[in-house]
Amino acid sequence: MLQNYLKIAIRNLLHNKVFSFINIAGLSIGLACCMLIVLYTKDEISYDRFHKNVNQIYRITSTETSPDGKVDKYGITGMMPGPTFKAQLPEIENFVRLQGESYNIKKGNEILVQDALKVDSSFFSIFTFDFVEGSPKTALKDPQSVVISEEVAEKYFGKVSALGKTLSINYDDTFQPFTVAGVTKKSPQNSSIKIDLLMPFHREKNHDDQWINFYLNTIVKLKPFANPKALEAKFASIYAKEAKGQLIEAKEKWNFQSTIQYGLQPFLDVHLSTDFRAANGLKDESDPMYSYVLMGLAVFLLVIACINFVNLTVARSVKRGKEIGIRKVVGGDRKQLIFQFMGESFVLSLIAFLLAIFLVELTLPIFNTLANKALSLKYLFDFQLISSYFLLFLFTGFLAGIYPSLVLSSFSPVDTLYGRFKFSKGSFLQKSLVVFQFSLAAFMMMATLVLYTQFDFMVKQDLGYDDKNMVDVSTGRMTLSETHTFKQELLQNPSIEKVAPRQSGSWRTIAKVNGKQEISFAIDVVDEDYLPTLKIPMVQGRNFSQDFPSDTSQSVLVNETFVKEAGWKNPIGQRVNFFSSNKTYQVVGVVKDYHFNTLHESIKPQLLTCDPKRSSFAQLSVKIKPTDIPSTLKFIEKTFKKLRPTQPYIYDFKDQSNQKQYEKEAKWKQIISFSAILIIFISCIGLFGLATLSAEKRTKEIGIRKVLGASALAIVSMLTKDFLKLVLASVVFAFPLAWWAANKFLENYPYRIQISTWMFATVFVLLVLITILTISYQALKSALANPVKSLRTE
Amino acid sequence: MLELKNIFRWYNSGVNRAFVLRDVSLNIEQGEFVSIMGPSGSGKSTLLHILGMMDEPNEGEYSFLGENVLKIKEKQRAELYKKHIGFVFQAYHLIDELTVYENIETPLLYHGIGSSERKSMVADILDRFNIVGKKDLFPNQLSGGQQQLVGIARAIITKPNLILADEPTGNLNSKQGQEIMELFKTLNDEGVTIIQVTHSEKNATYGSRVIELLDGRIER
Ligand SMILES: Nc1ncnc2c1ncn2[C@@H]1O[C@H](COP(=O)(O)OP(=O)(O)O)[C@@H](O)[C@H]1O
Ligand SMILES: [Mg+2]
Repeated sequence: MLQNYLKIAIRNLLHNKVFSFINIAGLSIGLACCMLIVLYTKDEISYDRFHKNVNQIYRITSTETSPDGKVDKYGITGMMPGPTFKAQLPEIENFVRLQGESYNIKKGNEILVQDALKVDSSFFSIFTFDFVEGSPKTALKDPQSVVISEEVAEKYFGKVSALGKTLSINYDDTFQPFTVAGVTKKSPQNSSIKIDLLMPFHREKNHDDQWINFYLNTIVKLKPFANPKALEAKFASIYAKEAKGQLIEAKEKWNFQSTIQYGLQPFLDVHLSTDFRAANGLKDESDPMYSYVLMGLAVFLLVIACINFVNLTVARSVKRGKEIGIRKVVGGDRKQLIFQFMGESFVLSLIAFLLAIFLVELTLPIFNTLANKALSLKYLFDFQLISSYFLLFLFTGFLAGIYPSLVLSSFSPVDTLYGRFKFSKGSFLQKSLVVFQFSLAAFMMMATLVLYTQFDFMVKQDLGYDDKNMVDVSTGRMTLSETHTFKQELLQNPSIEKVAPRQSGSWRTIAKVNGKQEISFAIDVVDEDYLPTLKIPMVQGRNFSQDFPSDTSQSVLVNETFVKEAGWKNPIGQRVNFFSSNKTYQVVGVVKDYHFNTLHESIKPQLLTCDPKRSSFAQLSVKIKPTDIPSTLKFIEKTFKKLRPTQPYIYDFKDQSNQKQYEKEAKWKQIISFSAILIIFISCIGLFGLATLSAEKRTKEIGIRKVLGASALAIVSMLTKDFLKLVLASVVFAFPLAWWAANKFLENYPYRIQISTWMFATVFVLLVLITILTISYQALKSALANPVKSLRTE
Repeated sequence: MLELKNIFRWYNSGVNRAFVLRDVSLNIEQGEFVSIMGPSGSGKSTLLHILGMMDEPNEGEYSFLGENVLKIKEKQRAELYKKHIGFVFQAYHLIDELTVYENIETPLLYHGIGSSERKSMVADILDRFNIVGKKDLFPNQLSGGQQQLVGIARAIITKPNLILADEPTGNLNSKQGQEIMELFKTLNDEGVTIIQVTHSEKNATYGSRVIELLDGRIER
C-alpha cells in the first residue's frame, strides 16, 4: 500500500515539474530559514549554561529610584556590595567582581591594546573554564600575575608554552612585568564572559568604599537552597546600615536623594536581559526581540510556502479528482485517501527538508555575518536540535497537507467521474491565501523601504559639524605642553589643516544654574581650536581664545539646548555652578546645536570647557586635506610614534566611526530586505503556479474567445485582471498595518523620516509590476496559442 | 439478490424539484444479466449509482443481499460494497500515473490482500485477459478496448458477485464492444450478476432482461 502511494507521489512529482519545483523551492527556503533561526535561538538560549551549578550563580543588580519616580536599572554595582554581603550572609557561598578594562601591552617595539577583565581571585571558583596550562586553583592568587586565553597567548608568545612567561603591561601608567599564571582554552562562543586576559583586582591600590557608584559586575554563587527573594530583602537592610553615612554625605554634597535597591538576577538571564544588560566586561548583550523577529520572519516564510502547496494542490484537484473517484470506486475509504495525500505532502516536505539542510550549510556563513554569530550545525548538534528539526519537518508536512487532504478525500466519485465536478469551495480560500501572501509581501516591501529611507536619512543627516577628512587619534592622557608640542608638530605638514585636542570619551555631570536650578548635561574639555576644526558655528558670544587667559579657569561655552533648558534669555554672562567641586564658570558663548551623540538621541544640553584642571587631553581631532590621504596618515603615525612611544597608535576616521553607530540598523536593513525578497519570491512562484493552472483550465474558453475574435491583449488582460484584483486587496490590508508598524518603529528615532504617499505608491507600483511580470508569461502563452489546437484536444 | 422499492431521486433546481428517478421499483436475482436502456438523461447512470451505493435516493428502499442498504451504517455499507460490487465505466477511468499492473492491483491493496497473493491474482487476470505483455504500460499507451479490458479486470479482480457497467462499450468500436460483451457473458456464466447500461440493442441481447427507462420511470 505504502509502496503504491509512494509510486503515485513520486510519479506525480515527476509529471508536474513546475509544481514540484514551486513547492520544493518554496518549502526548502522556508525550512532553511526556520532551521537557521532554530540555530540562532538555540545559541541565544544556550548562553552561559556550561558553568557548573549555573543555577546557583546570580548577578547583583542595582535599581535606582529618584525622588521624582524615575527608575534606572543597572546590572552593575560598586566594589562594596560583593564583600559586604558575603561577609554578613551565610547563604552566599562566594562572590566575584568583574570589570571590563583594556591595557597597553608591549610586544617587542609595538604597543598593543589588549581587552581584559579585572576580576577577584575567586573567579574560577564560580565560573567553569577549561585550562590549557596552569590550574584554576592557583591561577589568580599572585597579584603580579595574569591569566590569558590560548589565543592571547599565541598573540604574544607564538605557539610555545606561555606559562611562567612575563607580559609587560602598562599598569598605573608604568609598564610592569606580569607573570602568566594560567592559560585558558578559547572561551565558548556562547559565553557572556570572554576571557582574553584576567587581571586580579587585589592589585588595586586605593580601595573604593563608595556604595553609590556603579561600574562593575558583582556575581555571587549562592548555597544550593538559598532563596534569592529573601536575600534581596536582607541586602536592603545591610545597605541601609552600611551606607548610612555615605548617603547623608551624598545628600549634603550633591543632593543625592535616590533610593538604591539591590537585586539578584540569575546569571542565565543576563545574556538576553533588556533591563539589566550584559555590559562592563560581559559581552554579547542581546535582546530576545531579535529572536522573536527572526522567528516571525522565518515562520511567515514557511507558512507562505505551505500556502503555495495548499493552493496548488487544491487548484489541481480537478485533475486529481478522477484518481480520487477511482480509488473510492475500487474500495478505498476516506481515511486511506487522507493518508495517501498526507503522505504525498510528507514526501515533498522530506525532499524540501533534505534540500534545506544543504541550503543551511550553504548560507550559514552569510547568515553568521548578518546575525553577528558563529553558528554551525556541528557545534549545536544534539538531540534537541535533531528533534526540533524533526518537528519542523512534521509541522511542514502537516500544515501543507492537511487541508488539501481533507478537501480532496471528500470528493464524491459520482461527481468526479462524470465530469459534473465544479470545484467552488476552494476558490474563496485560495483567494484569501493569496491575499495573505501578498499582504505580507507588501508589508515587507514597505518595511524594507522605510528602513532604507530612515537609514539613508540618518547617515546623510547634517550633523551640525563637518566630519569629513577628520582623523581622531587617541593619544592617552597628555599634559598641556605635550598637547601643544603634538599639535605644532602635526601642523608642520601642509596637508594637515587643523588640530583640536579633546578629552576622551563622553561624560555627563550636573551643575546649578540660576542659583538653585539643577541641570544635567554632557561635558567636554576642549580648546579654542575645537569649534573651528569641526566647523561648528556660534550663535552668540565668542569662542575660547588665547587672548583671554582667564578662559581656562573661568569660561564655558554651552549649546542652544543648554540655554533652553536653563531658561536663559541672555545666556552670555550667566553662571554655571559646579557645586560638587565648588567651582563657578561664566558662559562666554553659545554654540549652535550639533549632534555630538548619535541620531538615536535628541540633542542634549552640552557644556564645553577649556579648563585643563577638569581633565587632561587624550585625543586629537586632525582635519586633513582630501589629497593624498595615505601619506598624511603615515605622517601622523610617524609623529605619534615619536611623541607617544608608550602608547598604542589608534586612529579613526570620524565619518566612518559615525557610520558605525548605525551598524545595527544596517544589519536589520539587510535582514529585512533579504526576507522581503524571499517572501516575494515564494509568493510569486505560487502565483505563477496558480496562473498556469487557471490558464490551463480556461484553455477551451480562451480558444473560443479567440475564434470569436478576441485580441491577444484582451485575453492577457482577462487573465491578469483576476490576480491583480487580489493584489489590490492585499494592499488594502497591508498598507494600514505597515503604516502603523512603521510609525511605531520610527518612534524610536528622534530624528526620523515622514512616511509619505510616495512610499506607498512605490510599493504599490512595484507589486503590480511584479505581479504582471509573474502572470504575463502564462497569459501571453495562452493568448498566443493556436485556438484550433486547444479546442481540438478537448 | 437486490430489490429497489419506490425509489425517487431528485435535484433541487431553484424552487422546483427536477426528478431524475420517479417511483422506480426493481428486483434482480443472483446470476441475472440485466441491460438498462433509455435515452440520454433518462436516469440510467443515476440508477446504476444508487444500485452501486455511490448515490442515495431521496425516497424509497433498497435491500441488497438482505441488508437494508439505506439504513445501515456508512461503514457497513462500504464493506458491503467493497465485498460484492465492481464498477466499469464508459470512460474506463484508469489512474493515469499507474501502469496496467498497478491499476489492476489497486483494489487488492484496499482489500488488504497480502503481496504474494496479490501477485498471483494479478498475474492470473492478466493471463486470462491476454494482456500480460501490456502490464508495464501506462493507460495512455493502450487502445480504448485494451483500456476497457483493464477496467474490467480491475472490477472483477476482487471477485465481486455484482458488476455494474455504465455504457462499457460506449467509446469502443463494434468489434471491441463485442469482445467486451463476450467477456461479460462468460463472467455471467460463471455466476456473476451483471447490470449494464447500454444504448445498443445488440449488446442488450447478451443479457437475460432489459429494463427500459424513460424520463426516470421504468417502462417495461
Ligand atoms: N448533480 C446533479 N445536479 C443536477 N442534476 C443532475 C445531477 N446529476 C444528474 N443530473 C440530472 O439527472 C438526469 C439524469 O442523469 P443520468 O442519470 O446521468 O442520465 P443518463 O445516464 O440516463 O444519461 C439528467 O438530466 C442530469 O442532468
Ligand atoms: Mg449516463
